[in-house]
Amino acid sequence: MSDADLSAVRAPIQQARGLPNAHYNDDSVYAEEKQTLLYNQWAGLAVAADVPEPGDAVPVNFLNIPLLLIRDRKSEVRVFQNTCRHRGMILVDTPRKIEGAIRCPYHSWCYSTDGKLVSTPHVGGPGQNTHDGIDRALLGLVEVRSHIWRDVVWINLSGEAPEFEHAMADVISRWAEFDKPLHHGGANSRFQLELNCNWKLAVENYCESYHLPWVHPGLNSYSRLEDHYHIEQPGAFSGQGTWVYRQLTGEDGATFADFEDLSDKWDKAAEYIAVYPNVLFGVHRDHAFVILLHPNGPGQTSEHIHIYYSEAETDADLRARNTEQWKQVFAEDVFVVEGMQQGRNAPGFDGGRFSPVMDGPTHLFHDWVAEHVQRNRAHSRAAE
Amino acid sequence: MSSLETRLLAAHAAGDTLAQVALYTEAADTAATQGAAGFFLTQAYIYALDLGHNDTAVLRTRLADMGRENRA
Repeated sequence: MSDADLSAVRAPIQQARGLPNAHYNDDSVYAEEKQTLLYNQWAGLAVAADVPEPGDAVPVNFLNIPLLLIRDRKSEVRVFQNTCRHRGMILVDTPRKIEGAIRCPYHSWCYSTDGKLVSTPHVGGPGQNTHDGIDRALLGLVEVRSHIWRDVVWINLSGEAPEFEHAMADVISRWAEFDKPLHHGGANSRFQLELNCNWKLAVENYCESYHLPWVHPGLNSYSRLEDHYHIEQPGAFSGQGTWVYRQLTGEDGATFADFEDLSDKWDKAAEYIAVYPNVLFGVHRDHAFVILLHPNGPGQTSEHIHIYYSEAETDADLRARNTEQWKQVFAEDVFVVEGMQQGRNAPGFDGGRFSPVMDGPTHLFHDWVAEHVQRNRAHSRAAE
Repeated sequence: MSSLETRLLAAHAAGDTLAQVALYTEAADTAATQGAAGFFLTQAYIYALDLGHNDTAVLRTRLADMGRENRA
């Protein structure tokens, strides 16, 4: 892979080519991108609603790293490496409530919910639970830097990204009006899709409206292509908006309650933004959703979808209809992202040409990827 | 009543942590030596810690008094 390939990606959209095939199906490029695009950035891991009560603990494998999402006794959501500091055993292998301590199932070293090592049974011999060589203060669980915004638990595995509020300042500012309490719709407002494609294809498809008339024909009746606009923030996020959002209504005309104090723009506007690298958001006057992309290899991705409302109590039937509606839309995209993955096995495919008018948000994402990979390669060369 | 060992094995087989706290405490209380008592108390303490059991602090103090665990 040469830098020249990525220079073509970074050219103005009129001349640019998309990312080369290797960025979708090559193990070494996947490993490189995993480091620079996911470890080194703020990536979406889970939602705080996964651990609603103190002691709730959920193991999450992210990029093949075993992590533990937990709400500690003080109700703070934390992320740890899910690995005992003794022999490297997995600590929690299924979602459960930690009643007292996190006890390793192997030799029963115990950790508090805030990660402190609190007991080391028999470590100094039978019945002797301390030893001068074991400093518990130095052997707590390895914590992963985390931050919660819009209920998403973001993690920075490298620990070196700028502060979250700084790194995400533009999108936080753009959606300041939606900085309101979010209420997860519960069990029927979460679902998961398994995709046979690289995670970036899900981002690319999400952030452009060009495909809507062809892939989501159901939207043509009221949300036409010309009703959409691009959202473009170089280096941070891109997406699309619509001016004609129509609320879901029940048979009695009921709708979901609006988020409070929104400006008039949002009466009919809605926005769909891909926050780089792997979090896809949607906001509307009366509900919001998030899609977390978990890359599971160059050609495998899990999508974790969660839908939120402005109030804790919402009509169950209407909520179910809303979930079904989004499930259908997201399912309609599956053949596209999987088809693009297959298409990238053609050696003659050169990354593709963008529509200078319609593909701006997608090109921005490619540019962001290319910039970070180029920078990473430059650092590697300098280190050598 | 079955032997303590039999009851302990049954509690382990059933994954009955609450019973393990009580049974290991009983084993510690009836142990013939300080060493055996320390072992069983440790077992009781760890299962109590796991559960967030009310006896956790008492068991820890007993171990600390024996020089076998740090004080809280």
